[in-house]
Order: sequence, then C-alpha cells, then structure tokens
Amino acid sequence: MADSKEMQLRASKLYKKRSSFEMVWRQLRRNKGALLGLALLIIIIIGALIAPIVYDYDTDVIGMNVRERMQWPSARHICGTDDLGRDIFARIVYGARYSLAVGFVAVIIALIIGTALGAAAGYIGGVFENIVMRVCDIFSSIPSVLMAIAVVSALGKSTANLMLAVGIASTAPFVRVARAAVLVVRGEEYVEAARAIGQPDWKIVIVHILPNCLSQIIVQATLRVGSAIISAAQLSFLGLGVPAPAPEWGSMLSSGRLYIRDYSYMTLFPGIAIMITVLSLNLLGDGLRDALDPKLKR
Amino acid sequence: MHRYIIKRLLMLIPVLLGVAFIIYAIMNVAEGDPVYQVAGPDATEEQLDALREEMGLNGSLLERYFRYIFKLLRGDLGTSYVSKMDVMQLYLQRLPNTLKLASVAMIVAVVISVPLGIVAAVNQNSIKDTVSMILALLGLSMPNFWLGLLLMLLFSLKLGWFPSGGAEGLRSVVLPAVTVGVGLAALLTRTTRSSMLDVLRQDYLRTARAKGVSEKRVVFHHALRNALIPIITIFGVQFSNVLGGSVLAETVFAWPGVGRLVVDAIDQRDIPTVTGALIMTTMLVTIVNLIVDIVYAYVDPRIKAQYTK
Amino acid sequence: MDKNEERDILRIENLNVRFETEDGVVHAVNGIDMKLGYRKTLGLVGETGAGKTTTALAMLRLVPNPPGVVECDRLEIDGQDVRGMSASKLEQVRGKEISMIFQDPMTALNPVFTVGEQIAESIEIHEHLSKEKALEKAGDMLELVGIPRQRANEYPHQFSGGMKQRVVIAIALACNPKLLIADEPTTALDVTIQAQVLELMNELKEKYDTSMIMITHDLGIVAEVCDDVAVMYAGRIVEQGSLEEVYGKTMHPYTEGLFNSLPNIKNRQAMLKPIHGLMPDPTNLPEGCAFAPRCNYATEECKKACPALRNVGGTHMVACVRYEKDPNFMIDRRKQNG
Repeated sequence: MADSKEMQLRASKLYKKRSSFEMVWRQLRRNKGALLGLALLIIIIIGALIAPIVYDYDTDVIGMNVRERMQWPSARHICGTDDLGRDIFARIVYGARYSLAVGFVAVIIALIIGTALGAAAGYIGGVFENIVMRVCDIFSSIPSVLMAIAVVSALGKSTANLMLAVGIASTAPFVRVARAAVLVVRGEEYVEAARAIGQPDWKIVIVHILPNCLSQIIVQATLRVGSAIISAAQLSFLGLGVPAPAPEWGSMLSSGRLYIRDYSYMTLFPGIAIMITVLSLNLLGDGLRDALDPKLKR
Repeated sequence: MHRYIIKRLLMLIPVLLGVAFIIYAIMNVAEGDPVYQVAGPDATEEQLDALREEMGLNGSLLERYFRYIFKLLRGDLGTSYVSKMDVMQLYLQRLPNTLKLASVAMIVAVVISVPLGIVAAVNQNSIKDTVSMILALLGLSMPNFWLGLLLMLLFSLKLGWFPSGGAEGLRSVVLPAVTVGVGLAALLTRTTRSSMLDVLRQDYLRTARAKGVSEKRVVFHHALRNALIPIITIFGVQFSNVLGGSVLAETVFAWPGVGRLVVDAIDQRDIPTVTGALIMTTMLVTIVNLIVDIVYAYVDPRIKAQYTK
Repeated sequence: MDKNEERDILRIENLNVRFETEDGVVHAVNGIDMKLGYRKTLGLVGETGAGKTTTALAMLRLVPNPPGVVECDRLEIDGQDVRGMSASKLEQVRGKEISMIFQDPMTALNPVFTVGEQIAESIEIHEHLSKEKALEKAGDMLELVGIPRQRANEYPHQFSGGMKQRVVIAIALACNPKLLIADEPTTALDVTIQAQVLELMNELKEKYDTSMIMITHDLGIVAEVCDDVAVMYAGRIVEQGSLEEVYGKTMHPYTEGLFNSLPNIKNRQAMLKPIHGLMPDPTNLPEGCAFAPRCNYATEECKKACPALRNVGGTHMVACVRYEKDPNFMIDRRKQNG
C-alpha cells in the first residue's frame, strides 16, 4: 500500500514537471512575433464578439441599399460598398464570426476525433493501430480541398456541414501527432509505474499520457485553425460554404470577383481580413511551438 | 531495391481499394435519389426502376461498391449523368492540363524556395533571414485563390502581360502556376531553412572545410545533399495540396483541368464524375508519393540500404 | 632540407579566441605561444574544455565566426602567414599544408557520399587530378590505412567506428600534409582499437615526415608518440617542454594533478588522487592563476596576478608564481622523483 502511494506520487510528480503555464508565457513574452499574433487575434475576436452590438444584422450586414451601391472606400464606408450597397467593413467585421467559428469548431472536431483515434492507436497497437494509420494515409492522400468538397456536396450546403467537412479533412494530422506522442511516452517510467499500481488503461491514457503530448497538440491545433479558415473560405468561394447572404469572407470574394476589373476594392478587403486572421494564428502557433518545444527552436 | 518497389506497388492495392470505398461511400450518402434527376418529373415507377438498374443503383451500398470496383479495375468509371460521356474519358481529357499546372507550380515553388531557404540558413539571424521568413509567413497565411485574384488584377487586367483565363499558349499557365506554387514555396522555404540549419551544424562540414573544400562547395554540395532529404519528403506530402490548390486556381483562371471538372460536376450533382475524378486524383497522389519515396532512397544511402536488406 | 631544420613548421604568438554569445563572452584561448619543429610531434594535453580543440581550429582558421573571434600576433605555417590569407589561399593550405583528424569519427564523415569520394575530394582539390585518378589514389590511401580498396564504394554507415577513424585519417593524410593535427583521435574508439590506430598514425607520420600535434587528455598516449608536451588549462599553457622535461621534472601543480589522476599500475593499492573542484567558468575567469582555486600549493599571491610562462632550464617552461617567489619550492611529485 505504501509502495503504491509512493509510486503514484512519483508518477504524478514526473508528469507535472512539464510545461507550466507560467513558463510558456515567459517564453512567449520574449517573442515579438507571437505577441503581435496574440494581439491581432484578440482584436479580431473582440471585433467578432461586439459586431452584433455595433451592427444590426438585418439592416447593416445583409440589408440592400441600392442608392449606396458600388461606392469606393471613403470616410463614410472605409472599405467601400458592394454590388447591393452593403458596407463592406461591416460585413468583414461580422464575417469574422463565421470564419473564426468555422475555423475553431472544425479544428475542435478534428482534434477530438484525431487525438482519440491516434492515442488509442498508439496505446493499443497491433491490428487496430495498423487500420487506423492506413485509413489516415488514405485520408491524407485525398487533397483536403477535394475531400471537403465531397463531404459538403454529399451532406448539403450549410455552415454546420462546412465545419464538419473542414474538420474531417483536417483530422489526419492530429491522429499522427497523438499517436507519435503516445508512442514516445508509452514506454516511460511513470507510465510503467501507473500500470504497475493497476490503473485502468483509459485512465492511464487520459491522466498520464495525453497531458504529455498536449503541447504538440496545442501547437498543431493553433496552426490548423489558420488553415481551416482558409479551407472554409475556399469552399465558400466555390459556392459550397456558408450560404448567401451571410457575410462569409470567401463568398464575399466570390461575388467581388465578378467586379474585379472596375471595383477591385471588393476583392481586396475580404482577402486582407483572411490573411491577417491566418497570419495572427500562424505567428501565435510558431511562437507556441518555440515556447513549448525548445528543441525545435532555431 | 526492385523488391522494395514491387512490395510498395502491392501495398498500393489495399490503399486504393480503401480510397475508392471512402469516396464512394461519401458520395453515395448524398440526399436525394439521382434517378429523379436523370429521368425527369414525368417518369413512371417502372421506368425509374429500370433506370436504377441501368445506372447501377439497385442493391445495398456494399453491393454497389463491389460492382463499382470491378468496373474500376477494368478502367470503367461509369457514365456522367449530365453529359452522358464516359467519366474516364472526361478525366483523361482534363488530366494533362492539371498535370501541366501542377508541375509548373512545383517548379516555381522549388525555384523560389530552395535558394531563399539556403540564403536564410547560411545568414541565420541576419536581415536576409528575417525578410525570407516574413515572406514565407505571408505566403503561408495568404489564401491562394485571393492571391490568384490579385495577380489577375495586376498582371492581366492592369498590365496585360498575361491572359486572365484559359489554357492557350505558354503564358496562360504562369499566373495559375504562381497562384498554386506560392503556398508550397512558403512551406518549402521554411523546411529548407530549418533543414539546412540542422545540417550546417554537423561535424562533417568541418571535415570538408579542413580538406580545403571551398565554402560554396561546402554549402551546395556537402550540406545541400543532406538537407534535401527532408525537403523531398515535404515535397511528396505536399503534392496532394498542390492538386487541391489547383482546384481553386482552375476556378479563378478558368483553367480546364480536373479541379474545374469536379467543381462543375458538383454543381450539377453529377455523382459518377465527382466520384471517378476524386478516386483517380487520389491514385495519382499515391503513385507520386511512391515515386518520391524511391527518389528519397537514392538521395540517402542509409535508407537505400534499409530497403535492399 | 637543412634550411627546414632551422625553420619551424608552426609558429604561434599570443593567440586569443573568444566566443561572443548572448550569455556572455567565453574566453576559450588566452594568449598562447607555440612553436613546432619539422618532423616533431607535440602533445597538447588538458581536460575537456581547456581550449585544445579551439586552438587547433584557430590554426586552420576554422573557428566559426560569429560567435568566435580570433586574435593573434603571429600565425605561421611553414613560414606562411595564415592570418591575412584570402579565402582561396586558405583553401589551398587546408588539407595540403595542414590537415586535421577530428575527435568523433561517427560524425566526421558525410553520410551521403562514399568514403572513396570523400578521400578523393581532397586529392582532386590539391593535386588537380581527374576524378578517376583521384579515386584511384583514394583506393591507395584506403589500403595504406588498412582497409581493402574495394570498400571505397561503400558509405560511412557501413563501417565500424575504428574503420571510420581510419577513413578520417586517410582523408587527412591524402595530400601528404606537412602538419597534421590529431584531435583526440582515439577517444571515441574501443580500447583495443585505440592501440591499432595510434600505431598506424605513428607509422604514417614516420613514413611521410609529417609534423604532428596530438591533442589528448591521455598522458599515456603522449608518452608513446610525442617529442614535446604542452599542458593547457583554462585556455592557457601552464607548462611546456620536451617529454623528458615535463614527465621527468614535472613542475606545475596542474600537471602533477593530471599524473595523480592516472591509476597506478605498479601499486594497485594506491588511491587515485583526483584534482578536486572544476575548471573555472570561461565566461568569468579569475583574475589570478586560473588553477589557484583547485591548487594545493596556492597562496594569496596566486590570486593576484596571472603568472607568465617562464623558462626554467632547457626548453622547459612553467607558469607558476610559487617558483618565482621561492627558489626552493618543489611540488610533491618532484620530491618523490628526486
């Protein structure tokens, strides 16, 4: 009994030694790029949160105003107006809600499915692992845009299906990361210790193994949100994403494209919005990677 | 080595069957029975049943899948609902255009990224390094279709240097290829840099320098050959993304490739065309990955040794 | 030939190397003078981190910059000033006039080229031979170091550690250099292989009239192959002289400490007497003698100023304040040896 207590204590000490929040934050604070990314992301999130307070969806965002249509950027409409006379800036700010929601939800879907499958594959091994990894190979050889296109076209166009499609298309990397991480820690002493005192497998995986691959999963997730936002915009651009008249950035580009020759501002601003959002996530993700995994830092 | 290649080719078979199954399954849970679409509103129940049989839509999903696979093995991908043309033929018509776009894009990417990555690594932490890394970050953060729109606006609509669409002549491939290539270039620049940094620290470069090898030869002969190994891996993994990216570029620049075929087919709910094109594209990716693995073995003698064993 | 006898293959005066890193300046080498006659072998002895390898790299101008900064008043190899050499002239000197055997054979060879190619490259560069001729000669070199020439087409991963070190030696000797620096050439090898490799190096050195600097922490190896010895501590030479002088009339307390750390074969009951403490942090060297904190003979005097190397008869030099202040001072080893 005393032995098992001691082992448990030892096991918990061993894995808690890892990355505390403060340590990561101290590393991150020294990285100017990561701070810039974090600041931009916070601004974008705040913008998305207060958009419904500032703008009325029905009148400001989707309401037509024919008298004001096709106006170049001015003090009144800083990003100009579109073909239906809607203020592009208002639509961009409101559009952040869709892009962020799709990006985050898709990645959460991918993260949950991927991590669970990957951790199980790594821990169980054998035939199960083999099947999971082969399926994973298959999924990564289907170009993810085409994969998402297939899923959306099968399930029908809606925001929820878009999230699901992008999520499924970005699952494979999480499976790989989680499996690799589990394989590394599986043989370590504290896991052996936990097994020796008779803890059930599921508990070992969740309590002892997953926290140790958390850093890699967080990094992967942060970087994936960016690519998920791009994927979502791509699908909307192809007319398979968030249905009109919702102000999704990709579909704004799709309609702006028709007027690109004479009203180029309509194509310019939504793209800048996508790029800044993705850039902020990439900056933050790179910074997190350096902070959480000093080995990768160059 | 030959045995390794044969083994890998055999391993392709279950993977491709799996690919076909996943794509077939996804495409066939689609809502609505396609027979209505083909037969029109006035068809009788008997006519619909006959049509179902004719289109291979009777029976359970698994039954239909096996029928599909047997036809696939003979190179038959079925008939398009819309154009009534053979899907394999439709695909093969478009494939050369997509391959042209993808290969030019990959060449563009390599030509930009490898030198940029080397310069960044050799001058680590200098202004050149910083600028290269910022460019790479912007390249990664930019949606490719938006970049395509901007390129079109500047180089074809404003300056008139390149056509804004179509696949006529050599010039028409430039803008779509850059659109597809920039994302890959950004990724490869980062990979080249970190891989070079890794190699530049190695003792064997000191040995080379101590022999009197010039700095240029140390970097481009001794270091690059080693650094290429991870670069080739990324290159292979990214081929599927290049094909994905070309779907968007083909839409922006009205490039008559496979991507356009798929997007149009989805609009028209032409399921055999979508399914067939997706399966063939995935096969292409898998085969390219196999080729990359083989090239890889020739660059790294340690891996070649493992395979021959 | 006679002219060569008078000249030296290597002359270094006041060599300083420091590394300017984010965490401070590392003073790796601090004012070293060195002279080596033709066909002589110098043993450069000291513990890890004493600056031996850095000194060697500085001779080849291979100290990475940044962060390394090298300064010296004189650096001549075979009468040529290496300090101001252009990059292309340096490339002609490296591998031809002076070459180096590196410590770890596991990492010293490029994994993607065959060993034949790696030996031939040096021959191609310096003797301007065609690739075929160079490869032919590389085969000769392999045979010379005891590896069948058919193995020239194999890659480094197909060789054992000892064989790799032979390849590294073949690369270093391929163009018959006048000066060979061997940086702990046997440290990474099994004990049984060590003797073989040393014997091989001794043989080749005799055969080609090569001068050599043998970097090692093993006093036994020095006794076997060296004519002269220089003992380094914290980037400085603390004692130098001929083998007889340093081994027979050891004067510096640090050299004595090195001898005392060796197991005594004659008296197996004797306890090892390791040097207590650690080498000082090279970012923060003490003002006085760097060895003083670990020295059994240290006085207050020792902590005040850094002692200079002084001649104590023959070619024997030592840097220790105690001898300056007290003509009768003697370390324990001298007392025993008489």
